[in-house]
Parts: sequence; C-alpha cells; structure tokens
Amino acid sequence: MKLSQDVLLGLFFVVFGVVSVSVAMSYPFGTSGRMGPGYFPVIISSLLVLTGLLVLFRSQFAQPEILPAIRWKPLLLIPGAVVIFGLAVETLGLPLAVLLLTILTAATSIKFHIEWKTAAGSLAFAALCSVVFIELLGLPIPIVGSWLRVPGF
Amino acid sequence: MDIFNGLLLGFSTATTLSNFAYCFAGVLLGTAVGVLPGLGPIATISMLLPFTFGLPVDTALIMLAGIFYGSQYGGSTTAILMNLPGEASSVVTTLDGHQMAKQGKAGRALAAAAIGSFFAGTVGTLFIVIAAPLLASLALTFGPAEYFSLIMLGLITSMVLTSGSLLTAFGMALFGIILGMIGTDINSGAARFTFGSPYLLDGLDFVVVATGIFGLGDVLMNLENERLRVVGVAPVSSLFPTAEDWRRMSAPILRGTGIGVLLGVLPGAGVLLASFSAYALEKKISKHPEEFGKGAIEGVAAPEAANNAAAQTCFIPMLTLGLPGTATMALMIGALVVQGVQPGPEILSQQPALFWGLVVSMWIGNLMLLFLNLPLVGMWAKLISVPYHFLFPTICVFMAIGVYSINNSVFDVYMMALFGVLGYFFKRMGAEPAPLILAMILGPMAEEYLRRTLLISHGDASVFFTSPLSLGTLVVAALLLLSIVSPRFRKVREEGLQEVD
Repeated sequence: MKLSQDVLLGLFFVVFGVVSVSVAMSYPFGTSGRMGPGYFPVIISSLLVLTGLLVLFRSQFAQPEILPAIRWKPLLLIPGAVVIFGLAVETLGLPLAVLLLTILTAATSIKFHIEWKTAAGSLAFAALCSVVFIELLGLPIPIVGSWLRVPGF
Repeated sequence: MDIFNGLLLGFSTATTLSNFAYCFAGVLLGTAVGVLPGLGPIATISMLLPFTFGLPVDTALIMLAGIFYGSQYGGSTTAILMNLPGEASSVVTTLDGHQMAKQGKAGRALAAAAIGSFFAGTVGTLFIVIAAPLLASLALTFGPAEYFSLIMLGLITSMVLTSGSLLTAFGMALFGIILGMIGTDINSGAARFTFGSPYLLDGLDFVVVATGIFGLGDVLMNLENERLRVVGVAPVSSLFPTAEDWRRMSAPILRGTGIGVLLGVLPGAGVLLASFSAYALEKKISKHPEEFGKGAIEGVAAPEAANNAAAQTCFIPMLTLGLPGTATMALMIGALVVQGVQPGPEILSQQPALFWGLVVSMWIGNLMLLFLNLPLVGMWAKLISVPYHFLFPTICVFMAIGVYSINNSVFDVYMMALFGVLGYFFKRMGAEPAPLILAMILGPMAEEYLRRTLLISHGDASVFFTSPLSLGTLVVAALLLLSIVSPRFRKVREEGLQEVD
C-alpha cells in the first residue's frame, strides 16, 4: 500500500474510530427508547471506522499523488513554543512567556536572523502585550510568575 | 413586544456611549486583523475574544458582532488587493476583484464591495427584524424531532458544500461529533472519553479547538511554503465609482442581496453558497459574460452583497434556534456561552434588550464599515504588506493569550497546540475542517434531541417521518445528498469549490 493522502486519512479515521468504539463500549448502551451514554458514541464511532475503511478502499483505485516534503522545523517548533508558553505563563509571568513564544516561533522562519532591532522589537512587544491584556483588559494573568516572586513580598 | 418598540429598545441599547464605542472598536479591530493575509474570520474572532471578556453581556455581543463584520470586510479587502481569500466565501471576490485591481481599478472594486455590503447589510438587518421574531415563535412549537432533522440538514449541507470528497467530509463530521461528546454526559452524568483527566470533564472548549485548527493550523500550513508566499499588494487608486460603475452594479447588488438574505437562513454553509450562487447568476444573465473573470464589476458587487446579506441572516437560526449555520456562527455560540448566554427561542422574550440591541448595532456596524474602511483603505493596504515573518509570531502570541484567558487554563493552551498539528494534518490530507467544527457543536445537540425524540416515541424512529416539518427537512437533506451524485451538479460543485483550498 503506497502512502497517499487517502491512506493516511483513512488510517487516522480507522484508528481513532476503533479506539473510540472500544472506549464507548464500556458505557451503558441502553435501548433506543432509553438511550444510555454509550448509545450515540458507539454508533458514531462505528460509522467513523466504516468511513475510514471506505476511504482506504477508495485510495486503492485513485492515482497515488506524491506527498510533498514536510518542513519539520516549524511543525515541531511552533506547537512546542506554544506548549512552552503554557508552561511559562503562570510560572514566569506573561511578559517572559510572550518573549519566549515570540522568539521561538520567529526562529522557525527562513528569514530569521538575530539583530538588535528585532530583539528590541520583541521586548517592546512583550511589554505592550502585558500592558494591553493585564492593565487595560484586566485579564487575571500574572506579570511576575510564581517562580520569580520573592517570598515575603 | 412588537417590532417598533423592539427597534426603539434596540436603538436605546446600541447607542449608549459605551456600546457605541465598543461596536466601533470591534469593527476597527476586526478589520485590522481580518485584512491580515491568511487569517479568516474564525482565527480573527478567537484572537480578539479576550477583548470582550469583562464587558457586560450586551456590550460583549455587540463588539463580537462588530469584530465579525470587520473581519469579513477585511477579508474582502485582502481578496481584492492581494488575491488571497481569507475564507471560502471570499474566493469568488478574488476572481474579478483582483483582476480589477491589476487593471488599476482597485479603489473602484473596493468601493463596489463596500457599497454592496452596506446595502445588503441594511436589507439583511431589516429581514432579521421581521423574520427572527416569527421564527422564534415558530421555534417554540418545534419538538425534539424537528430540531434533530434541522441539525441533520445543517450537517449535510456543510458536508456537501465542502471542497474535496463527500466521504472525507463525512468522516470529518463524525470525528467532530466524537470530539463534541468528550466530557460529562448531561443526561446520565457519565464521564465520556475523558481518560480520567479532570480537565476534560467539562468537555473540550470549542473556541480552543477552532483556534488550534484554523489559527495555528493555518500558520503551520503557511510556513510550509514560506518561500512561495508572494507579497504583491495592488496600489489603491480613486475610490469613487464612475457613473458607468453605478449603472452596472446596482442591479447585481439587488439580486445578490436577495440571494444572500434567503440562503443565509439555511443551516449549513449558507454564506458560501450565497456568494457562489450570486456570482453564477450574474455570469449567466449578463449581456457580456466573457468579461467575468477579467475584471467585471458585477462579479465583485453581487457576491459581496450576497456574502454580507447572508452573514447577517445567518444570525437568525443562531439566535432563534440556537443552531449555528456556519463554522463562524458556531464560534459565536461558543463565545456567547463563555458570556453565559445560551441562544435559543427564549432569548427574544427573556433578553429583549440583548437581541434588539444586537440587531440595531449590526446596522450601525455596517454603517461604520462604510465610513471607516473606504477612507482608511490606505492603512489597511499597509497592514497587508507587513511581511509574514513578522506577522506569524504576533498571531501565535495573540492566539495563545486568547486561549489561555478563556478559562485561565494552561491545559487549553496545550490543547490548542495539539489541534494546531491536527489542523495541519487535515489540510495536508486534503480534508477541509469546516464540517468538523460545525459537527462539534451540533453533534451533542443531535444526541440530546435524538434521545428526547426516542424517549417520547418509545424507541420508534418513524416519528421523524410523521411530523411534516421534520419530514420536509429530511427530504431536503436527502435531495442535497442525491444531487451530489448527479454528474451535472458535481461538475458545478467542483468548479465552484476547487479554488477554496
């Protein structure tokens, strides 16, 4: 089986559907007149498995298209940077979290290079975000995170 | 409350200084973010959502609506000046709009879009004023069977109107329904698909999923061909349509408005269908169809009018039935729920100030768009030409802060990262995510209405066919499904949707 869009998508549907059916089977199914919490999930997940199989079946007849090469750097780094933002926002505070996210995401661009102007720009942006979201909009996000706070202050 | 008193109440709500100011801010911010290439209304709304937190409900809703129109209008500006549609429904605008821009008529194309949109917006708002109370009182007589059939119609329409294969769209919708079922089952209290995680007990936040798939997923997709991104913004010339332009575009605007108003009410992808049909109709009845695709002003004015009229009237099913017609409306419901408002037939009688204030502010918002966007178009053009490598880190930051601030939950931020990767995967596999988003909101509703229907009928499914309204809805849905099998419709659908990707 050659890898193609349909093969990957079909596999995704089948795998997700099978997991979902097996989880949903553990909930009470009930009857049509009194649907249990498992009734709808089992039906929908089974349909998803079936759809996935049909997509796989279809892929055997279609002209296989060549999957274009994947640029792994942004694909890994950007979600990674978002996760780091999540880790940092409460522990380091918003300005530092924004700074980290800005620099890490910008680093994935092919045009990225380090110079003082962009560094100053990202610092200013982090400060601006903190002013707008915390001071002006009053969102309850810490400016200084829990790790950086000096005990007693 | 009759319409006249309702409008009076609406005007007094919408014209308080703060509501007026937030409507203005919403329109301005919505346009500013909406013009940025590669950001559709869904990403725009979810990025700007934190700006509406902490506001009173009516103000927040008015500002949200302003953001929605602003982003729609901003999307058309980018479509005309840069040939980059922000969302599916502005694809048609690029056909003739960008051609006009290339011929040095960008200003006139923008003016045609703005005037068409404003006229359509006014008619659309009037239509809401008349139709929404009627539909709301009708909706009170709907039983669960009718609701279930309407939801099915909405899901099927969105699948049929998605580019790519129907089977793929069906799979995406099923996947969305499963995502929607994560969390505590409202009926039995059973925790479903939570894998023991306390964070999933309340379900996946819809806004988080939409931001991940549409916002972050698009960023990842755009970075894929970063080298290929051509940044060419057409210069903006005189903004005043000539007498010839006026003559050529007035009838198309009228027809486009009519199509948009009617199709917008349909569940499914009414806005998309409206702009495509309006374009197709103009091309068909035009005396010089050969000009279409080469810069015919009718080809800009009609779909833009239809687009905006439908964008207004798609609020009708959302507000009166609680059923979103499009992925964007689904996001608006998500935003309303964050504010503690559950849209449905009762909203009109229980929160009249909210409803009428929103309706009036829609019209005011459209008026602002007309007076704001034409003079400011030079500024928007500058914003469009900001290089992408400065833009996307900013977008990521706003999305991360936005998602975090919904529930002050770090878990939501991680979920957004996960769905960003998933959104990228789906796009690479040629699967359009719009049905997934709609199904995530509609799926749990479908389950609940199915359960109630079958409980009342003791498990007898024939009730769906004995209620005339439910039967009619299901027949329409079946016809839609059948139509896709017919080769003629298939060809039209492929032609119409091929450029959406």
